[in-house]
Amino acid sequence: MITVSGLTKKYGDRTVVDQVSFDLEPGTVTGFLGPNGAGKTTTMRMMTSLVAPTAGSAVIDGKLYAELPNPGAVVGTLLDASAVHPGRTGRTHLRLLASAVGVPASRVDEVLGMVGLADAANRRIGGYSLGMRQRLGIAGALLADPPVLVFDEPANGLDPEGIRWMRDLLRAHAARGGTVLLSSHLLGEVEHTVDRLLVIGSGRIVADGPVAALLGGDGTTVRALDAPSLAADLTAAGLPVESTSDGSLVVAGAEPSQVFAVAAAGGHVLTELRPTERGLEDLFFQLTTAA
Amino acid sequence: MTNTLIDSPRPVVRSSGASASALVGLEIRKSLSTRSGKSVAVAAAVLAPVVVALISLGGEPLDAVRGPIGALGMVTALVLFPLGVLATAGEWSHRTVQTTFLLVPNRTRVMASKVVGVAVMGAVLAALASALTIAVLMVAPVGDPSWAGVPLAVGVSVLAGAAFAVIGAGTGAALANTPAALTGLYLVILGAMPALRIWKPPVADALDPSNAVLQLATGNGTTGNTLTLVGWVVVTTVVGTVVTRRRSVS
Repeated sequence: MITVSGLTKKYGDRTVVDQVSFDLEPGTVTGFLGPNGAGKTTTMRMMTSLVAPTAGSAVIDGKLYAELPNPGAVVGTLLDASAVHPGRTGRTHLRLLASAVGVPASRVDEVLGMVGLADAANRRIGGYSLGMRQRLGIAGALLADPPVLVFDEPANGLDPEGIRWMRDLLRAHAARGGTVLLSSHLLGEVEHTVDRLLVIGSGRIVADGPVAALLGGDGTTVRALDAPSLAADLTAAGLPVESTSDGSLVVAGAEPSQVFAVAAAGGHVLTELRPTERGLEDLFFQLTTAA
Repeated sequence: MTNTLIDSPRPVVRSSGASASALVGLEIRKSLSTRSGKSVAVAAAVLAPVVVALISLGGEPLDAVRGPIGALGMVTALVLFPLGVLATAGEWSHRTVQTTFLLVPNRTRVMASKVVGVAVMGAVLAALASALTIAVLMVAPVGDPSWAGVPLAVGVSVLAGAAFAVIGAGTGAALANTPAALTGLYLVILGAMPALRIWKPPVADALDPSNAVLQLATGNGTTGNTLTLVGWVVVTTVVGTVVTRRRSVS
């Protein structure tokens, strides 16, 4: 559906996006993670022709965004919720968008209802909270019910109920065969929403894969009634052991079966034995710091 | 709310891009959907007739109405600068240009729609202002003035309204900053041009668009005056379009 190839953006000598490449497939929600200034927003703006790339391209169904006959019917975009005229009402704003994208005016009230802004539709946007502006931006992106959604930090300003709503919205969109690219620095939110993670650091993609694969660790976590004794046996067996503050042992590079074999041979009573999982935050900081 | 989305039938969506006329109409709606846009439109329409009404209260008879109609047409045109500036620089100031270019990525097409849109609004508002001015002059105690040359004065006022609105749009697009565009335009037209007229009158004649409008409206216009006005329209529109095409939306 979307193929990004070697996207690069330089401002003078400074490279803010460096050879970014990825594919987005229908039916998936892809999280685009990275610290501030990593190049997420610039990448999204290059994908949507708002910023001209120095090199590379992004095509949607084989066409550049700018070559799509009616881009709003194909890609629903929310890049900056505050990019609205504060003097217009929410309804007027959406009616102007509806005219541009070519959907009936009646669709405006439908999407206002979807995002929970029906009661605020006739208020000026200048009086909206950030969360309401995010909802308005999402409403604008959904006007044509496009197959692709590209959202930059959509959870900003949303309350917990709103975040859950948005998560369900994006999952439902993917379940209907839609393609979703979602950037966020709310790592926990992304973890529960996306199928796949793209991690960007210093303008480069530093990780790309399914959430489970990226979070799966290389090692085993084990707890025993007599942890020091088990640690000694594991060390004697040539396995590197680290004790953690919560009393568990982490055996790097070992399969659970190897650890179990040592424990069984030593007659240890185990209370927990599982593959080590990295937290998303650990992964995020590990990858982006390395970049 | 999500269930509503899932259960909703997909809306009927136009498969092609918006037509040129639809984009022009959209730009006009955008301009008139804000308080600032409406205020400029109302001011442009009523300023000239109100000024005529106030002047006529003095009871001074007029020899001919062509001059006042032409002069006030120029004043209306000056009020129409902001209409164009708001249509372009206003979009950059409020960052709504992002949505505009997301839905219509062809920036030359967007600029063309804005130029035509503000030209139409400028012409219509100038025509309305001229009509109201004439109506006031017909009932005001201004003696028995000559009405010769009024069609020319009205025609020039209407064209000036369109031209000044377009100049505002081009300047706004080039600077992408509403206060800078407005301040710059008024400083040049109302400050630099009069100063230049004192220092180098022939140069001022060749460059001053408001003087060109006055000369044309009063029947004293030359080809040079027409070229001055056309030059301002072309240069600001081309520069605004080129800069708009190249500028990143950050």
